[in-house]
Amino acid sequence: MNRKLLALAPLLVFVLLCVFLYQGLFANPRELQTGRIGQAMPAFNLPDLMDESKRWTDADLKGEVYLLNVWGTWCPTCLAELGYLTELREQGVKIVGLYYEQGYDPDFDGQFDINALREDVTSMLNRAGDPYQFNILDLKRTLALDLGVSGAPETFLVDKQGTILLHHTGDINPRVWRAKFAPLMQELQ
Amino acid sequence: MIPELGYFSLTLAMVLSVLLCIFPLWGAHTGNLRLMRAAPSLAIGQFVFVLLSFAALVYASLTDDFTVSYVAYHSSSTLPWYYKITSTWGGHEGAILLWLVMQAGWTAVVAMRSQSLPWVLRARVLGVLGFLGVGFMLYTLLMSSPFERLLPYFPVEGRDLNPLLQDPGMIIHPPLLYMGYVGLSVSFSFAIAALLTGKLDNTWAKWSRPWTMTAWGFLTLGITIGSWWAYSELGWGGWWFWDPVENASLMPWLVATALLHSLSTTEKRGVFKSWTVLLAIAAFSLSLLGTFIVRSGIIVSVHAFASDPNRGMFILAFLAIVVGGGLSLYALRVSQVKSEGRYKFASREVALWLNNIFLVVATLIVLLGTLLPMIHKELGLGSISIGEPFFNKMFAILLVPFAILMGMGPLLRWKQNKWSMLQNKFALSAVVSLVATAAWLYSSYDVIAPITFIATALAVWIVVTTVVDLAAKVTIHKTLGEGFKRLGLSYWAMVLGHVGLAFVIAGVTLTSAYSVERDVSMKPGDTVALNEYQYRFDGVKSIRGANYSGHAGVVTVLKNDKQVTVLHAEKRRYDIGMQFMTEAAVDAGFTRDLYLALGEQLSQGAWSLRIYHKPYVRWMWLGGILISLAGFLVLGDKRYRQKSTKQEASA
Repeated sequence: MNRKLLALAPLLVFVLLCVFLYQGLFANPRELQTGRIGQAMPAFNLPDLMDESKRWTDADLKGEVYLLNVWGTWCPTCLAELGYLTELREQGVKIVGLYYEQGYDPDFDGQFDINALREDVTSMLNRAGDPYQFNILDLKRTLALDLGVSGAPETFLVDKQGTILLHHTGDINPRVWRAKFAPLMQELQ
Repeated sequence: MIPELGYFSLTLAMVLSVLLCIFPLWGAHTGNLRLMRAAPSLAIGQFVFVLLSFAALVYASLTDDFTVSYVAYHSSSTLPWYYKITSTWGGHEGAILLWLVMQAGWTAVVAMRSQSLPWVLRARVLGVLGFLGVGFMLYTLLMSSPFERLLPYFPVEGRDLNPLLQDPGMIIHPPLLYMGYVGLSVSFSFAIAALLTGKLDNTWAKWSRPWTMTAWGFLTLGITIGSWWAYSELGWGGWWFWDPVENASLMPWLVATALLHSLSTTEKRGVFKSWTVLLAIAAFSLSLLGTFIVRSGIIVSVHAFASDPNRGMFILAFLAIVVGGGLSLYALRVSQVKSEGRYKFASREVALWLNNIFLVVATLIVLLGTLLPMIHKELGLGSISIGEPFFNKMFAILLVPFAILMGMGPLLRWKQNKWSMLQNKFALSAVVSLVATAAWLYSSYDVIAPITFIATALAVWIVVTTVVDLAAKVTIHKTLGEGFKRLGLSYWAMVLGHVGLAFVIAGVTLTSAYSVERDVSMKPGDTVALNEYQYRFDGVKSIRGANYSGHAGVVTVLKNDKQVTVLHAEKRRYDIGMQFMTEAAVDAGFTRDLYLALGEQLSQGAWSLRIYHKPYVRWMWLGGILISLAGFLVLGDKRYRQKSTKQEASA
């Protein structure tokens, strides 16, 4: 009897493993639990996208509930969500852009053509809508790294005390807004 | 037209493999010799058609046929011809097709080299291999065909092969690894065939052993080349990252290593029979599991986008059928098996049993470390990551008893030993190892950490005991020449394998302990000293390759004012996709590597450079190559080449 049970053991272990693998297959790997949630916004001191003499720090943002939206002109999904984000702005949601430049490598490319980028940004926002109070330029991607950004678009919901409440990967559309953001926003009001 | 022929050819191969699965297994079940006899020709036919299909993809890639989606995504017209060929396994669909070529190839070779087997066993082995072929071909045809067209709108230029894969190491790494993975399916088929036949005797082990050894040799070489590629291509001098993809190849390797040792015990002594069968099933299962983990997107790095759950579903179902089926059969049959041999505690049997235990524990550690983050998340406990420190610590702990035992094992005899006769040999070897290690390390380095000393001493211990054993075995005979002649090839394989691992241990230990790196900012003409070498920066020049442009930092390396070498550390920017690649410059040496990577341009003509001095890093790969040679050596063993089936009587 014992021998038979022992002979069955590998099969049972394997079946258990399969159950986990099966569940893992349908778990959304994009559902990131970055561990940033519940923590304070990392400290930063970065220039404004449109005016490098103007600098933004984490202290400037305290005292208000806002969305930090990571985006770039190179990112088609970002273009797609601009319209809905603009609607949200009109409803009174404060949205701050964190501009994430993909094509530029600080190690390699030397001087960055900021004027060309500003033209791109202006034309895109004129076309698709401008949801942003202002944009922070994170050329070396230090803040993006601190936040655990894995791509664009991604959006963080931050409360008055500067605590990150939500980290969403992918675009924001009415469905996502109702399911994930709206309940939290209501609590905060 | 050609790609469609490729797809059609694969369909034909699939039909043949369905027949290969049904005819021989049914024939073996009913005792119909005619059905069984069909197996070898079906196996060879299957291989021919899979090969034709692969040739079609290579042709599409060489002729820049960007109407084929796979070619458009993984190749470009500016790619050198040899990378056009390797681009056929640079992506998922093509890699699976290459896997199929290997699978069918192994099956064909088994068909041709198994005349000495009884028909019932031969037919079952080929039938099981046919079944595996059906699974993979079905997957390719339904889920991941590399022959899909992008019509009517196709790009005029391809997206190019990922620059990371444009490296000689990448040309040979995947085929070798797949040879290993797929080769283990032969061990698996032998195990299943033996279970089906119900004869788990030592003849089974004897037949399975050379196949397992060869597959293991390929796997070892594949992993070694992969590590070397990571070192030379990723630009920061690392050689092993404990990343899920690497772990996926390490797990089957560990189990296959256990399997080899267990097979030899079963073959020679008739013990551990059921355990050996289980290991054979486990080794291939872990190859499949590795494929599942890597290909299903179940474990993703932050940059892995779109992975298709349908593909994962198929592989999981296939995994469940193959492994679940194998283990069920095992559960049904194995309780009838009885061990024949008897042995005492101080015996080679026990040493090999412990060896197996350590290897299996190591495998479980890797498996847990790889899957735990996923399971943890599913249980709702949040995301965790298990990284290098965990694996390094666990392996360091396991290494000590494992290496001590590895030195002792070969000196032990089967059945039982008188401890008093061994005492002196072990004591002498231990003293020699400690003295030699102390002499070596204290003459080279000022600071020696205890763990460095222990690990190095263990490597030396393995070499010393191997030499002691070799000397004892050679001097038994009248002349040395005769002594050497009498040693079989499998003995030499053991020597190579063990000494190879000693090299790996020493290489890993010393390079981890004594690598030095410096980040410097240099202007042309500046000199920096690191250990006994001086590095003179001669400036940066522009470079232009077939499909990239960039800069190369030229650095002259001097030792005592004599020029050692000139290194060109490159930074490339690939034309398509605008990807940047660091191409490190390496001056390889037996006792040290000088490794140089070019960083960013700073102000006023200065550049940042990273310089590494890596002692004994080559020993790791040298060791890996020695170990894989051990696997291939057994192929030449006369005992495995005899064609008669009379061996059963003498075994």
